[in-house]
Amino acid sequence: MSRTMSLERRTALTGIGFVTPTILIIALILIYPIIQSVVLSFGQSSIDGSQPYQFVGLKHYAALMGDGRFWNALGVTFTFTALSIPLELGLGIGLALLMNESFKGKGLARLAVLFPWALPTALNTLIWRWMYNSDYGLFNGIALQSGLVDRPINFLGDEILAMGSMVVVAVWKTSSFMALIILAGLQSIPRDLFEAGRMDGMSKWQEFTQITLPLLKGPILVALIIRSMDALRTFELPFNLTDGGPVNATESLSLYAYKVIFDFLDFNFGAAVVVVQFLVIFAMSLIYVFALQNKD
Amino acid sequence: MQKRPRYGLYAIVSLSVLISFFPIVWLILTSFKNTAGIYAWPPQYWPDPFTLDNYISIFTNSPELLRYILNSFIVGAGCTAITLLLGGLAAYALSRLRLRFAGMLMVGILAVSMFPPVSLLPSLFQNFLNLGLLNTYTGLILAHAGLFLPFSVWMLASYFATLPVEIEEAARMDGMGFVRIFLTIVLPLSWPGFVATGLIVFIFSWNEFPLSLVLMTQNAMRTAPVGISLYPGEYAFPWETISTATVLAIIPVLIITAIFQKQIVGGLTAGAGK
Repeated sequence: MSRTMSLERRTALTGIGFVTPTILIIALILIYPIIQSVVLSFGQSSIDGSQPYQFVGLKHYAALMGDGRFWNALGVTFTFTALSIPLELGLGIGLALLMNESFKGKGLARLAVLFPWALPTALNTLIWRWMYNSDYGLFNGIALQSGLVDRPINFLGDEILAMGSMVVVAVWKTSSFMALIILAGLQSIPRDLFEAGRMDGMSKWQEFTQITLPLLKGPILVALIIRSMDALRTFELPFNLTDGGPVNATESLSLYAYKVIFDFLDFNFGAAVVVVQFLVIFAMSLIYVFALQNKD
Repeated sequence: MQKRPRYGLYAIVSLSVLISFFPIVWLILTSFKNTAGIYAWPPQYWPDPFTLDNYISIFTNSPELLRYILNSFIVGAGCTAITLLLGGLAAYALSRLRLRFAGMLMVGILAVSMFPPVSLLPSLFQNFLNLGLLNTYTGLILAHAGLFLPFSVWMLASYFATLPVEIEEAARMDGMGFVRIFLTIVLPLSWPGFVATGLIVFIFSWNEFPLSLVLMTQNAMRTAPVGISLYPGEYAFPWETISTATVLAIIPVLIITAIFQKQIVGGLTAGAGK
């Protein structure tokens, strides 16, 4: 670089050089494929290029509107999200308050809470599938032997129970993640606020609703965004727990899209499904971002 | 306030710890049962007889498991290396060099990280097929790097923001270039941030499912979670193999989490804190 080049210019050039590789990979792996999915969804083509791309306009989207299985998957995805997120949030706040106390063995407790998060969803889902099993499963063993029920419960074979079972696995795995984010927020609340509250004779509950919760709004919203995005794109959980069954009662949008693309080998229709899913998630995140900006 | 014995607190803590651990404990117990014990009704709560047969037979009858675990290690290590090196450079430029487009790029990077991975599948599969990248480490490493670079950029940028800028400014005064400053000053000062980011990205990559499922179609190239998930056949559920393989496949993650718990928690909360 020449010595006459201004510092500003040199900084800008270095900056571009440092940023470019990352942007390039993100563009190739995330942005370009999304654009390509949109293009695929408006056309007819074959996966290996043997049939050239032919524009068909909104044909696949029109078909999608009349596709009962798509609407079912959309409903399943929203139901799953609406059921699991409030439970995770409630438990997450509880766990965060718990971990904010000082007690012996806190490190171990924190580790235990982190474990479910660290396991691959696909594999812990297999463990749950085995515990739910109606012929050999742990839950049925306990329920039958303790006399709670007199015949095995078909956790994954009943449409409503299967959704409930799926929610339980999600809540078990990710409440801890909610808790960690909320705990970080909790630890940034100045101690003297609570002392002042105590001086004014606030009860524990008043302290929680009038000091803690309002100050946790930010972290709670962040946790909600991250977890909702995750819940809306859930894939390996139904893939490994129920394969979408029974009668598609647990078939999420991601799982339906995967099946259309790789089981029915309909890339173009599958692309339309993923584009709609992307739009749904995008709209949800806009709503959240709006809520975040107006949190005060 | 006087100290009361906090039995209630300990009861709730114990209950949470128990709930967190019991599926894993049940998994480990299952892996030490013989076939009759696994399929016993009512369930056998403690392995009887306690046997190592499943572990012996998984190495003799299912040698592909070692291959899955090796694949996961290669992909995880490659993805971690790329996200730390390239993500570190990008994060440094975006947080420290006062670039005009920095804010916009950071928001853009955050926005693309919200893409559902499944929405990438039709075109990624097609592109990788055309480029000959299906069933290659290069391909899946790139895919995972693309997926987790946004996280790494955000997390490292938030870490750099905690470092005092004066040292770097003094080095600039002495005429040091940005690359040298990054390598000799920023890297050594921020290695805890790099360690935390690297561990979390490695765990992300180890656990990643949809892209690993679709971009590695040959059995010998599958990652551990995908390979083990595909053990169950249409009707059979070979739980002897699955439980043992699962124990072996989650051990690396459990060890990392146990040793680096503090860094991981710190990193997650910093990464999510914006």
